[in-house]
Order: sequence, then C-alpha cells, then structure tokens
Amino acid sequence: MNGVYLPSQFGTIFIPLATVQVKPGDSLRITCRYSHYGAAESVLLYAAIGNSGWAGFDEVLHASRTVSVPEDTSWDYHEDYVDITITSALSPGLYDLYAKIDGGIPRVISPTLHDVVEMQEEVPDSEFGEISITSYAKV
Amino acid sequence: MAQYTDIVQIIAPAEAVYGGRVDITVRIKNLYSSAIGIMVGGALEYGVSPWPGINFPDDIENVDAGATHSFSGWFTMPNKRVTIHAYSYYYAGGSWYFDDEMTKTVDLVTAPESEFGSIEIISYARR
Repeated sequence: MNGVYLPSQFGTIFIPLATVQVKPGDSLRITCRYSHYGAAESVLLYAAIGNSGWAGFDEVLHASRTVSVPEDTSWDYHEDYVDITITSALSPGLYDLYAKIDGGIPRVISPTLHDVVEMQEEVPDSEFGEISITSYAKV
Repeated sequence: MAQYTDIVQIIAPAEAVYGGRVDITVRIKNLYSSAIGIMVGGALEYGVSPWPGINFPDDIENVDAGATHSFSGWFTMPNKRVTIHAYSYYYAGGSWYFDDEMTKTVDLVTAPESEFGSIEIISYARR
C-alpha cells in the first residue's frame, strides 16, 4: 500500500494515499504547497505523471502553469495547482506523481507520490452483438 | 531651544521593509524644577509635502522634575529612506510651546532574492 509517514502524538503514523482513477479526456488537478521567502516573482509550477525508478522519474504526461508568488519578508507557505490533461499516452496501470518549481534546473522538487494515479482500461467503442424478441403482447 | 524639555533619544530600527510597521520610542526629559505637561509630536521627511505625521497614541504626559518619559509611536515605512523628526512641547499658561527637536534616519530594506524552501503535493483529483 502507498502512503506517507507523518509524526503524531503516537509516534510515526502511516497515512495511506488514495488512488485516483483516470481515463483519456480527464484532467488531473495537482495542488501543491510550497514555502517561499524574498522578492515577488513569476515562476513555473510543473507537475508530471510517470514512473519513478532507479534512473529517475520517467515522465509520460506533464503540464506547467505560471504562478505569481508575492513578496514574503519571512518564510511563508502558498498553494497553487496545475492541471494535467490525461491522454492515451498512459497505458492502463499505476503511475507516480511529482511536482517542481521551474523546469530545466528546478528550484525545488516535491517528494514522489507512488502509485497514486490509475489509468483505467479503455472503454471499447459501441458495438451490438445480437438482438432477439423477448416478448410480444397486445397494448 | 530645549528650555524646559530635552529629547534625550529616539529609539527606532536602523532599517525597515516597505509597508512594514515601524515602532519608535521618543524619550523626553523634563528640565524644569517642577512637574510640567510634555507633549510629543513627530513627522516623516522623505520627499513628500506636507510631511506625514507619526502616530503617538498617548502623546501627552505630566512629567516630574528631572524625570524622563518614554512616548511610544509608530508609522508605516514608505518606499524610501525616511528621516524621523521628533518634537517636544511644554504646557504653560493654557498653551503648548514648541521646545526641542531631534532627528533619526531609518533606511529602507530591499527585499531579499526570491527563494523556495520546499514543495509538496497536497492533493490530486480528477476533474
């Protein structure tokens, strides 16, 4: 089971993470919280769906969004989101998620959430196999 | 000047951020041989006219002979270096009389470079 470990009054507890099921045409909204200090600026919030492995994160789908961060005279937290459009580039199965600020050389990267996105089997096109009369009555 | 009152000190930060609250204290000594009413006043010099005032919630005090009273005030930091002008007045014959002045400068702190500490995904939902 996938999840995160959080400190609590009972020691470290394990919080399982739910899996979200997606299909082509859906949009997955990924909301992030980040800490910031200093001058205001516009940055790229970037998130990706893919597979995390020993060689890094193999991105399959990704999206980014420019967000405006205000001036913070002390460390402060902000929240923003980015929407990833789900396409058939994802084959059925489980995928991981991560987010970062700025693309090429990221300023900060989130921990990876493992196996939290499940691509569903594609629903086939509409087809009819057979038809039969099941009753006949005067109306 | 400073016939009956003496501004001993202005306590204020050396620098402040734009838009931040700047707390100051003006210490005024009674030079007279008995208790007198002393009033504090203040204004900010940074290139605008008229000079904006400084807020002193309690600006009047009866001060014993030889004693020093601390008046607390505050202002909002403008977007440039500012000179605080503090004034003292004494009360006599039904009127207030200007008596002493002192100045102190507060520099503007420029915002530090932008830094990010951490990021985490807090939710993910299909839309």
